[in-house]
This record gives sequence, C-alpha cells and structure tokens, in this order.
Amino acid sequence: MEPKASDTDDFLESTVLLDEAQYEEGFKDGYNDGLGLGKEEGREVGLKLGFQVGEELGFYRGCVDVWSSAIRVDPGAFSARLRKSIEQLGELVDKYPLSEPENEQVQEMMNTMRLKFRVISAMLGVRLEYEGYPKSSETDVVDF
Amino acid sequence: MDFLEGNLELRERQRLEGHTDRVWSLAWNPATGVCGIPAMLASCSGDKTVRIWQQGPSGSWDCSAVLEDNHTRTVRSCAWSPSGKLLATASFDATTAIWECVGGDFECVATLEGHENEVKSVSWDASGSLLATCGRDKTVWIWEMQPGNEFECVSVLQGHTQDVKMVQWHPFMEVLVSVSYDNSVKIWAEDGDSDDWHCVQTLNEASSGHTSTVWAVSFNSNGDRMATCSDDLTLKIWDTSAKASETSGSSCGSWRHLCTISGYHDRTIFSVNWSRDGVIASGAADDAIRLFFESKDNSVDVPSYKLLLKKEKAHDMDVKLSAMESKGT
Repeated sequence: MEPKASDTDDFLESTVLLDEAQYEEGFKDGYNDGLGLGKEEGREVGLKLGFQVGEELGFYRGCVDVWSSAIRVDPGAFSARLRKSIEQLGELVDKYPLSEPENEQVQEMMNTMRLKFRVISAMLGVRLEYEGYPKSSETDVVDF
Repeated sequence: MDFLEGNLELRERQRLEGHTDRVWSLAWNPATGVCGIPAMLASCSGDKTVRIWQQGPSGSWDCSAVLEDNHTRTVRSCAWSPSGKLLATASFDATTAIWECVGGDFECVATLEGHENEVKSVSWDASGSLLATCGRDKTVWIWEMQPGNEFECVSVLQGHTQDVKMVQWHPFMEVLVSVSYDNSVKIWAEDGDSDDWHCVQTLNEASSGHTSTVWAVSFNSNGDRMATCSDDLTLKIWDTSAKASETSGSSCGSWRHLCTISGYHDRTIFSVNWSRDGVIASGAADDAIRLFFESKDNSVDVPSYKLLLKKEKAHDMDVKLSAMESKGT
C-alpha cells in the first residue's frame, strides 16, 4: 500500500504505516548510536596505534641523537660503516610519513628501521631492545 | 679414478670417540692434509664443545684439543676460514665464536652476537673476510672481519619465512646461498660495494625446487653446480654457472634447476656434500650414506646421476653431516 501525503483522511494510515515508522526510528537511533560508538573506538584505536608508532620512532630518534652526539665528540671511536648506518637510520626516521597512516609502505619502512637498528646494535656490541618490538615467532621449536 | 666402473666400498677407518652427546657437524681444515701437514678435523657437539682431531704419523686419529667452557648450549656447526687459521663455531646459545689456533691451542678471539635465538650454520667466503650465519630467527647475518680479529656486522638479511638451516658461500663468487624450513633456497648478493645485500633469486617449488624443508647445500669444486637436499626425499642439482650479480634487481634469476635425484631415499636427507672428485654424498635419517656420481649418458641433455653405493647403518643414528675430505692427488 502506497502512503499518499494528500490522504490525510485515511484514519488507518498511521496504523498501517506503524511498523515502517518504527523501523525508520529504530534505524535512525541505531545508526546514530553506531556512529557515536564507531567514532569513539576509531579515536581510541587511532590514538593507540599512533602512540605505538610514535613511541617506536621516538625511541630510534633518541638513540640516533645520542649516538650522533657521541660521534661528534669522538668520531674515531666509530667505524665508517657504523657512522654511515647511524646516519641512515636517522634519515629513515625523518622520512617516515607521520601524517599518512594509510600509506602502504609504512610497514616496510618500519621493518627497514628495525633491521637497521639491529645491525647497529650488533656493531656497537650492545643488547638494546625496544620494548614494543615484535620478536620473531617463538612457536616453532624444531631443534635441529 | 673412474667411479662408475667396478664395485665400490665404503670402509670405516676409525671411530672417533670423545664427545658425550651427539655430533652435529664436522669440518676439515682446508690448510691441512697436504704438503706433509697432518690432516685436521673439527667436530662440534650437543655436549657444548668442539673437538679437534689430528691424524698422527701412524695414520690414526687423535683428539688434539677440546674447545670448551665457551658455548652454553649445543654447538651446531663449525667452519674453518680458507687459511685454516680460524675456526668459527655456531651455537644454539645464539652466539658464534671465532677461535684462533696458536701453537696447537685454540683461543676464542671473538664472539659474534646478534641472532635472537639458535644459530644453525656458519660459512666463510672464499676470501676469508666475510662470514655468514643463519638461524631459527629466520635471518641471515653477514659479518666482515676487521684487523685484530674484530668482526663487524655488515647486514642482516630477512626474507625467509621460517628457520634457516644452512648458509654456504659460493666457492669463489661473493654470492651467498641459504636454505630453509620454508622449503626455499635463497641467493644473496651485494649491490656494488654498498653493503646493500639483497635476495637476487629464490628457488622454490615454482622453480622446480623442493617441496619440503631444505636441509643442506653443497657446491662442486668448479662452482658451476650446487646440490641441495631435503625432507622431500630428493636431491636437486642446480646450474650455478651464471654470475648472480648480473641479474640483481631483476626478478628473473639466472641459476636454474638441472635435475632431481629421487627414488633413492625414503627418509629425510639431512646432509649433502660434493667432493672434489665430483662424488655427491648424502646422509639421511635412515642411518645410511649414499654416494652418487654423474653418469655420462650422452643421449639426454640434462645430467643424470647414478647411485654408486649405499652404506647402511653407517651410524647408529641419523646421519646429520657428511663432509668429504679433500685429498691432494
């Protein structure tokens, strides 16, 4: 049955259209609630992820800054390869697109930085680890 | 010596006893066994030590040194530098130790740390200046020797998706091969001189590669062939004559599959070794050693390999490693 705007005399109209009206109201309520919840969660997730990325980048930036200062004080204490690697890590941190979280390359860039950090740590002979660093799988334990 | 003629026999010359746990690997010192220098062998074990064996004037072998109190877990692999002066030992304790022979005694002169967990294999390149290690953390590390027995990490190579079982440098090219639990064989080369190492080729099932864990790899003395062995019960022979660096950057590789030796093994093949004479030895989980040789069958284009002999019950347990002695002619 088609609702007709002009048909205000049909006293049955509101009854007949009741379930549709209810549905629409319910839908509107649900949608608005969902929208609110979605925004809340989205903000939470974004904040968390952003914090994690920021914290890791900040960690590398901090390390690079300290090492660069040490290099300025006593360049001879660091081999050419080590100095170059520290410089490269600094560049990688700078290049990271902080305002483009949807950039497809960010995962790879992060991996490159983590790898570079491992190489530098090995060269420095220190067992430095960023706490949030995901370790390679502990689950396969075939000991051969 | 024409291996294809006549009956061949593999006879046990001597049983070297001393280790108190399984022996995982051994390596012949390349600077010995020639010019009157008695042959020297290193063996590494689950007992956390490495033993050095030397052949005496009577021909029998004695243990001349025990490298202990260093590794805190199984020593899984060992390798001599090309000069024979240094021995690298890779351990489940995540470190690789470098030992120097000083008048018969061995002294640990460096410890390479960096792997997150068990190191499975170590290999020196032909120049003796680069060392490669690999492990359960799925990475391959390249180290460069500096003056004063210092080692610097050049690169950490990621790419394998599982435990890397073995690494082996090409006999003369600066090209590294790694084999893994992920069923693939990867070839790594440097881009120019920039410390920029990357994977130039992956030999997996799509390239006629193995369909299960690849345990070992061995090059022939010419460097134009390499053999790999696997849990898939086959040995595969690859043409490695092309310079891997020629194709760096391009996705098509230049090393290719030549043939597959199948039907001879019914248990996992843990080790493969290509002798200077061209004999391929395999060690498998059925406690047997098998020797293969290329048969000169001119009717086919691809090389084929014949089984020369099978030595059963060669060991009481799985044959994990067979190393061919390089004897001077």
